[in-house]
Amino acid sequence: MSDVIRLDKLPEKVIIPMRQHDGIACAPLVKKGEEVLVGQKLGECEGSDLAYVHSPFCGTVESIGLMPNPSGKRILSVVLTPSECTQSVEFVPEKNASPSRLIQIIKEAGIVEYYEKPTYLALKPEKRIDTLVMNATFPLITHAYLGSLDKVLKGFSLMLEASGISRGVIVVRADDKESIKAFKGAVVDGKPLTIAPIIGKRHADYYLEDIDDRIIVVAAGKVTYTPTMMNLLSADVMGRKVSLGHEPSDVHIVVCGVKSAKAVYDAISEGKPYLENAVTVIGAVNKPGAVIVRFGTPIKDVIDACGGYKGEPGKVIVNGSMGGVAIYTDEAPVVKNTTGIVVQTKAEVLQDETTACIHCARCVDICPMNLLPTRIASYADMGKYEECEHLYAMNCIECGACAVVCPSKRHLVQLIKYSKLQIHNICAAEAMEEATK
Amino acid sequence: MAFTVSPPPHIKEGVSVKKLMWSRFIVLLPLCLASIYLFGFPALGNLVAGVLGAVFIELAIQKTFKQKVTIGDGNAVYLGLLIALMVPPAVPFWLPFIGAVFGIGVVKHAFGGLGSYMFHPALATWVFLKLSWASLMVPTSVPQLGSLSDLILETGAGFIADASPIAMIGVLYLIARRYIEWRIPLMYLLTTVVLVFLLGDPLSYVFTGSFLLGVFFLATETSTSPITKNGRLVYGVACGLLTVIYGYFTGNYIEGTFYGLLLANAIAPMIERSTVPKPFGGVEA
Ligand code: SF4
Ligand code: SF4
Repeated sequence: MSDVIRLDKLPEKVIIPMRQHDGIACAPLVKKGEEVLVGQKLGECEGSDLAYVHSPFCGTVESIGLMPNPSGKRILSVVLTPSECTQSVEFVPEKNASPSRLIQIIKEAGIVEYYEKPTYLALKPEKRIDTLVMNATFPLITHAYLGSLDKVLKGFSLMLEASGISRGVIVVRADDKESIKAFKGAVVDGKPLTIAPIIGKRHADYYLEDIDDRIIVVAAGKVTYTPTMMNLLSADVMGRKVSLGHEPSDVHIVVCGVKSAKAVYDAISEGKPYLENAVTVIGAVNKPGAVIVRFGTPIKDVIDACGGYKGEPGKVIVNGSMGGVAIYTDEAPVVKNTTGIVVQTKAEVLQDETTACIHCARCVDICPMNLLPTRIASYADMGKYEECEHLYAMNCIECGACAVVCPSKRHLVQLIKYSKLQIHNICAAEAMEEATK
Repeated sequence: MAFTVSPPPHIKEGVSVKKLMWSRFIVLLPLCLASIYLFGFPALGNLVAGVLGAVFIELAIQKTFKQKVTIGDGNAVYLGLLIALMVPPAVPFWLPFIGAVFGIGVVKHAFGGLGSYMFHPALATWVFLKLSWASLMVPTSVPQLGSLSDLILETGAGFIADASPIAMIGVLYLIARRYIEWRIPLMYLLTTVVLVFLLGDPLSYVFTGSFLLGVFFLATETSTSPITKNGRLVYGVACGLLTVIYGYFTGNYIEGTFYGLLLANAIAPMIERSTVPKPFGGVEA
């Protein structure tokens, strides 16, 4: 856990996108030439799915315009020239706030979950919720926060308070010894945390019945639950299977991340908005590891902090080699939903050619969601999206496993993703038609 | 700096179609050696003729239609070898050659090439040869009820593949590596053993090289078997059932294997359609 570094070196230029999660874009509140302080609100927006944007730096607004983004698209951003000044807006900590006030603070701070939903919305799905699950199954990210574990746990408790959810379950990987050890030593509500393994049908509920702790830690398998794997997480950990077209909140579960828990602590106990995150850097860099980065820092500065590229870089991938985006420039900044960066050397970049499906069924055998990837992909390729729907394409969690094992190197995930988009559009169009009738 | 931009996933397993095909080919080589040891030069000649025929026709088709030449993926070579393994050792060399030309040219390519064919090219070819040159396609001798040592070196062998069933042992490695499906061979073997036992035929009569070739290489052909997990279990049972029905009534389990499998190929799509998996978590709560 000591291998987490904090990126303190000022970048030459900071790019702060007005939209850092999959929701509404903010409108800039500043103008060119204006001086901004640390924590100053730069973007505001209205609507339901919003996350305000604050400046993690002190500096001058150089320009406002479309800039490279880790999503691969160009997005309206405020470009700052940061300065050495560390002056910030006044941070006011809150004590003994009511739950609704807590939610308000979380919303003001612009905190976003790792799966793109603003935390204030995620915590209040307006359904009956009995468990808040913290997904700590990204070992490197979790390690980066082990040094401030008390704050993370405090933040998690605050989330429980704010949302009125009675119990919390923290999920770690069973093979992540380091995190398990750290959680073992942690104290919540004056008691040490209980660490429970998930065995067979014995899910988190089993332990929660016996123990009257508000929060427990469970060690669940060797899976890292990425944002698209929420339904699998709820099935594996809580034993509650989510049926097609539903989400964990339909089985009374809300999921949050380690990062957002820490951010909630910062927002409530220190009065700070969401300004920084841990980002993991792996692959062809000289010192792989986790770095605490302020939002808006270009990815190349993060890579420099990790000792720079090792060999000739061929591909820079944001958010995982299974489903992440290969970016075209390392000028793109780290934003709220950036979790990891993978660098591949020129030699490692795949040069496969796609050939015809040989029906080997390897994709079928590997799919965690029990789908027929090859069939869905073939129908998607032919434009038969309704067939895809009948094969439950919407259940695909985009884990990429099918494409990894395919001997014919087909672009299975792209095709399936595309069919999901089309199914979505068809459904939306049908709903519109219904409405206008 | 120029970075490659491409869709995820950005890492993949090293397994390719090429690897799958060539590994099957290699695993069949000990069997070929055993047959050459047993039957001598004719077996060697026939095996070579089969492979040559396959390569020749694939090249010819792909050159004529200006398609990408796919000899390198090993599929044609592998199929050619299979076809040759399924003829009696002493036939004239042109027979496996013609067979391979038919199998690759018609059954494989006319049906859309690798991955699209409905019937296993080697099986269909075997039936074609059987119908066209019935007098040549008679096994040298139907294997006699023998001791289990026949599994090691089948002295009374029928087709080239019957030389030494044990020489196919390498297939277990392919199954362990998931290069070959395990559900089909397992169910196929179980079904056959149980049925043969119930019907009272001696097992050694069934366990020939041809039968095992069918279990491990013909039944598991990916294009002609269902892709659903349950479908593959059902398919394995169907293969066993059809093999035994034919074998029991004709007393010839070798032909039973081949005819049975061809029939199984025909019903594979139906099995697949009726075994589409239920969605994770159910459809509606
Ligand atoms: S990406 Fe592929 S393996 Fe993963 S859930 Fe979707 S279809 Fe299944
Ligand atoms: S893994 Fe690839 S080749 Fe095999 S069935 Fe799936 S899509 Fe086809």
